Amino acid sequence: MDRAAQDTELLNRIGLDQTLRRERVRRRGQLGLGLLFMAPALVLVTSLLLVPVGYNIWLSFTKWKKFKGFGEYAGWANYEKMASNPFFTDALINTAIWVVASIVFPIALGLIMALFLRNMRGAEAFKNVVFIPRILAPTAVGVLWFYVYAPDGLLNRGLSLFTTGDVEIGWLYQDNTVTPAIIATFVWQTAGLVMVLLLLGLAAIPRDPVEAAHIDGANKWQIFRFITLPLLMPTLLMVTILSVLAGFTVFDLLWVMGANYPGQRSLALAVFMYFEAFQKGSWAFGSAVAVVIGLVVLGVTWIQTLLQSRVDRMVR
Amino acid sequence: MKKLLAGLAMTTLLAGSAAWADEVQLFHDKGFWSEQLQTVGEASLQETGVKIVETPYANAEQYKAFIQASIASGETPNLFTWWTGEPFNELVSTGQIAPLGDVWKEMVASGNYGESAKELFVVDGEPYAVPLVLARWVVMYDKPLFEELGISEPKTWEEFIAAAETIKAAGKTPFVATVQDGWRGFIWFQELMLRMHPEAYNGLNDGSVAYNSDEVREVFKTWSDMYAKGWFSDPRSTEEVNDFARGNGAMYLIGEWAFGLLTAAGVSADDIGVFIMPNIDGTDPSAVIVEGAPMVVSTAGIKDENTMKALEYFVSVNGANVWGEASGNYIGNDAAKAPNAVVSKVNGDIAASNAGSYLRWWEAVPPDLQGELVAEMNRFMLDPTMETAEDVMAKMQTLNAAYWADQ
Repeated sequence: MDRAAQDTELLNRIGLDQTLRRERVRRRGQLGLGLLFMAPALVLVTSLLLVPVGYNIWLSFTKWKKFKGFGEYAGWANYEKMASNPFFTDALINTAIWVVASIVFPIALGLIMALFLRNMRGAEAFKNVVFIPRILAPTAVGVLWFYVYAPDGLLNRGLSLFTTGDVEIGWLYQDNTVTPAIIATFVWQTAGLVMVLLLLGLAAIPRDPVEAAHIDGANKWQIFRFITLPLLMPTLLMVTILSVLAGFTVFDLLWVMGANYPGQRSLALAVFMYFEAFQKGSWAFGSAVAVVIGLVVLGVTWIQTLLQSRVDRMVR
Repeated sequence: MKKLLAGLAMTTLLAGSAAWADEVQLFHDKGFWSEQLQTVGEASLQETGVKIVETPYANAEQYKAFIQASIASGETPNLFTWWTGEPFNELVSTGQIAPLGDVWKEMVASGNYGESAKELFVVDGEPYAVPLVLARWVVMYDKPLFEELGISEPKTWEEFIAAAETIKAAGKTPFVATVQDGWRGFIWFQELMLRMHPEAYNGLNDGSVAYNSDEVREVFKTWSDMYAKGWFSDPRSTEEVNDFARGNGAMYLIGEWAFGLLTAAGVSADDIGVFIMPNIDGTDPSAVIVEGAPMVVSTAGIKDENTMKALEYFVSVNGANVWGEASGNYIGNDAAKAPNAVVSKVNGDIAASNAGSYLRWWEAVPPDLQGELVAEMNRFMLDPTMETAEDVMAKMQTLNAAYWADQ
């Protein structure tokens, strides 16, 4: 009897083979049960996310425009056309501005307010006031600020108090002011939520290291720089992801506030896509723009995920 | 008890389906006329037994998307509205729209419509729609102010300019014009183009005339000069109709349909005068810009008796009267009552001058260029200098040339 046959006989004698088989069956059963429990989510994610995304990618390689070209293969034509479109370039630049602005301003403002308010008496009322814009619909916020920025609106009237003549700046009509004006509105709406999340993060920081640093003679800046900020980093990163995604998906504000701005289609990629797909009926080209937006978002979130895992390792 | 309930349910179901059977849906994007279309729908039910149920879409983009997707999936609605010009040609080219030659034969034979009324809806010699609206683009003016300043209705370009100068000298603004809602930039451009270079007007829309040609430059120069003289209201206003109603401008270049909006804004109908803008060269033939909103029937709809009953009611004298009274809109039915004094006056002026019709720029321009070009015109209105005009013309021509090179 050779060695392999001896091993098999030994396994049969002690029943290990049957045990392994039973284990495999049990695992298969568990997998089936797991899939059964996951089925509703799988069906939803597949039908409402994966299939539409796949369909959109397929559409971007077709010639579908208005009533014709549906299903006709176009190769990379839509992507090549995009590269030479001047509105696309402007929209891409503006989207990049939005991404940077949505990281910097809401977080800087939210952090300053959170640090300022965390140990302050009677800060609750102020926190509520700052948070209120967050619960308003973006469209309503857009309409409200559209009138604030109007040539005869609140902002210009306020500025007129400090000048000799009437200020009539068309904030939402000029190339150099429209994007900053809408970003300011976005920050106004977002900073409250950022502040609340950072306050929660600050509350979770243990007192011991702060007190130890204080006893060791560290000043307030050193405590913030070397204790508070590193321990707040996971919250900050989470807030950054939320803020960047909000900045990427902003559409309502641009649509409402930029309605009378001649370059509205260049305000962001999302608006450009809407104009191409829905106003021009260039469905395939609009789908290609959507694919590019998806890739850019994926890229940014991938970088953030890498940073998240680094921070997690650092905190551990 | 069970039998009674079942009987009741069956009766309700039958009654419901009977009511549905006599309803025809009219899809459109003109939500501002919802109530008025409902009035027509009820009147149609009374007269023909078929109720027109209007189904509005909130904005034109959503509506276009709905119709395009419906046609792509072979589910074209039986009855819906569209736009004339290039968008209309595209729609007809799908093969899903029924020709309405027989309907027009009856309309013309009855004497209610002239042959010319169907011109806007003809593709390759065959009419494919009936009018929901036929609006001429005219200058409405503040009658009491004209009387106060002793200005009579301008008949020539010189009189028109003199009227503007008189109004400005009296401390008032002659014209209301804004970029409100992003589509209005073309209004003065098209009118000045037609009044200065009627031969180039159509050339712009078939690619034979460039947007940076001398003719267009001359139009921008005139327009810019008018701005420099302070003749226009603030283009950034978001209340164009109210600007006229409040006296922020004495003349308002717009489609006849704005008459209803002006009266709704509180202007007395008797205080609104109207004239067709005169040509710069008095020897050019009289012309007026026309906007037509077509109502089309699908190839399936033309086989549906109720759809055709609804359509025929709408274009009938009674239908036109109900629609005209409710909305102030004219559909070209000469046997119907003129819906208001403005339409009546314009009808008279056109007949007297034998004015020819030009399709509105918005419909005449290729749809792919429409939004981008009008955005450039808006840009000029916000900074009406010749420096901006040069930039605007160059950009418009780049877009225009790229489009035609692709055809």
